[in-house]
Amino acid sequence: MDITSLFAQFLSGLTYGTILFLVAAGLSLIFGVMNILNFAHAALWLMGAYFSWTFWSLMQGNSFAFWLSIPLAGFAAAAVGWLIEVVLIKRIYKRELYEQLLITYSLALILSDTIKLTWGVTNKLVVRPEMIQKPVFIFGAPLDSYFLFVIAAGAVVATGLWWFLKYTRYGHIVKAAVFSREMVGALGIPIPRIFTWVFTLGIFLAGFAGGIQVPIGSVTLGMDTAIIIQAFCVVVIGGFGSLLGTLVGSLIVGEVMSFTILFWPEGAMVLIFIITAAILIVRPWGLFGTPMRT
Amino acid sequence: MNYRKTAAFFVTVISCVFFFGMTGAKAAEPYNLGVALGLTGAGALYSADGVEGIKLAVEEINAKGGFLGRHKVELFIRDSQTKPDVGVREVKDLILRDKIRAVINDYSSAVAVAVKPIAQEYKVLHIASISNSENITKINPSPYTFQVVPNSYMQAKAIAVGIAKLAKQKGWKEYITIASDYEWGRATQAETVKFLKEMAPNLTLKKEFWPRLGETQFTSYITGIMALKPDFVVGCVASNDNVAWMEQAKTYGFFDKIPYPGSLITVTELQLQAKTLPRNIIALTRGPFFAHMDIPMMADFVKNYRAKYNKFPSDWAVLSYDAVYALKQGVEKANSIDTEKVKDAMKGLSVNLTRGKLTFRPIDNQLSCSSYLGTITDDARYPFPIYKDIVEVKGSESERPENEILEARKAK
Repeated sequence: MDITSLFAQFLSGLTYGTILFLVAAGLSLIFGVMNILNFAHAALWLMGAYFSWTFWSLMQGNSFAFWLSIPLAGFAAAAVGWLIEVVLIKRIYKRELYEQLLITYSLALILSDTIKLTWGVTNKLVVRPEMIQKPVFIFGAPLDSYFLFVIAAGAVVATGLWWFLKYTRYGHIVKAAVFSREMVGALGIPIPRIFTWVFTLGIFLAGFAGGIQVPIGSVTLGMDTAIIIQAFCVVVIGGFGSLLGTLVGSLIVGEVMSFTILFWPEGAMVLIFIITAAILIVRPWGLFGTPMRT
Repeated sequence: MNYRKTAAFFVTVISCVFFFGMTGAKAAEPYNLGVALGLTGAGALYSADGVEGIKLAVEEINAKGGFLGRHKVELFIRDSQTKPDVGVREVKDLILRDKIRAVINDYSSAVAVAVKPIAQEYKVLHIASISNSENITKINPSPYTFQVVPNSYMQAKAIAVGIAKLAKQKGWKEYITIASDYEWGRATQAETVKFLKEMAPNLTLKKEFWPRLGETQFTSYITGIMALKPDFVVGCVASNDNVAWMEQAKTYGFFDKIPYPGSLITVTELQLQAKTLPRNIIALTRGPFFAHMDIPMMADFVKNYRAKYNKFPSDWAVLSYDAVYALKQGVEKANSIDTEKVKDAMKGLSVNLTRGKLTFRPIDNQLSCSSYLGTITDDARYPFPIYKDIVEVKGSESERPENEILEARKAK
């Protein structure tokens, strides 16, 4: 096998990792700050994908429809996320983890049915602009030209989140809340409001990732069930609440999947689960997570 | 006490009971028909069309009084979620609660295989109109289970006939398969590989890829296959996954570089991907309406379907519509809606369907129907591409020999 082919496989892993990062970043952020294991995250990701298709359909005649529909999907999903937080999530902060899981899992089922009732069962396809219908070649390796945008979007989201957490006041509060929300609350910072906005931001990321997914294939019911498992693997490997961990975890899962498909096609998912299980045993807080939290 | 009023009340009540009792006795018993298809999950896309075909057939039949002109068909539709456990639960519920006499099921062969023994246990007819694994009728046969779609063996043989011809023409030597990792994908891939070995012994299978059912990201498979540089690729990717696979492979220039003959591209994909589907690839399908527009029943079906749903029917609508009409003709032959009699009548029965006059093989209740290969080409008559130069591989040319079926059953 030549080096170009291996590089092509690396690029596939990179794109897959980027897509996973966009999904898992919000999941990790929400758990890290709020201690809520949101099983409905992927359902909101799927809802974002349907929103994106709707916006694209409504603006089809315009040249910007394709690009604008993606961030708009993020905002629409964020609005739904905000409503869910205010109505439901707010009431389960103090509940046991298994109760949270049951409630968010029920929420995932409700959202799935809502999606079915709203958009029907037919696949939704977006037609790409001509400029991104052909592959590009990087050192001879083919890459779907749309993935250049996906990788760039992943980089922008990663950098934006890093900048937000490192340089803004709200970012500092969020980071502090990961370690000790009681201390943050004791300083007079309104924790419930912070939680609402963190949850909304996390769901914005899910919706945005859903919008990004649409032009890759088609939007179908049930897409969310597969990706939620992989997103959980990512955050377990990287560490819940760690942005760097989520990024590294996504890239590990993406690349391991990509190269296992090439050399051991039947074992691709198995290997991911072995790595996840090993991390859970050896380092339960993940590669970049923190073992202690209050 | 007002005796007159009391007497009038009782007379009215007794008259009502008598009247409704009499009319109830006169009305023929309805025929309860169950439908358990994967309305959500990976099978949602095809199953929705199947339900439309069934509803239209039932409307037409009921407009003429129902089965035998007197048994109105009542539909009970459930979602199997394309999951065997849910499918079994829903079909059991249809049998026990809704007292169905027959069930059309499923999108997923795994669900149909799981439902088969339940239908047999409760003596309910079971008709597979979308799912097509050969194992639905080959192994552990049930006298209650019928299949109106070309099965995985028949489809694989049809593909192999086409590919063997092309391999000879083009000097192909090595190939790769990519198939959905579940019952249908595995069965179809295995049969295709076996046939290719028989028909083109010089061909070598270089590698097998097994994306799981429900896969949304095929990029690693695409670059992986391209890295291995096969002469051609055989695909057995299912439903929604097939749409994602084709769309993603196209954006990598996959189809420009590697021949991809015999992939299942049904009328659903032709319509859904009308703008984006690569042209001139040789594909396979199970019940394309445009192959039989010369048959009056098909022409009428397409006309009525378009009037009702404002679109052309997919293979799944055609096959599921045929399932209802096959059942209708079974009831007519039996001259009864009694399931035992209908089951016996359908064995070896020749039925007039949208795809012509076709016969259920007595050995396995498989309808001897055709598979269709053709080149994807635009056609001014339709708002989507259709098959050109259609090769109709008849049931008789593609069925598994009976002795092999008997041997497989013995081995089991």
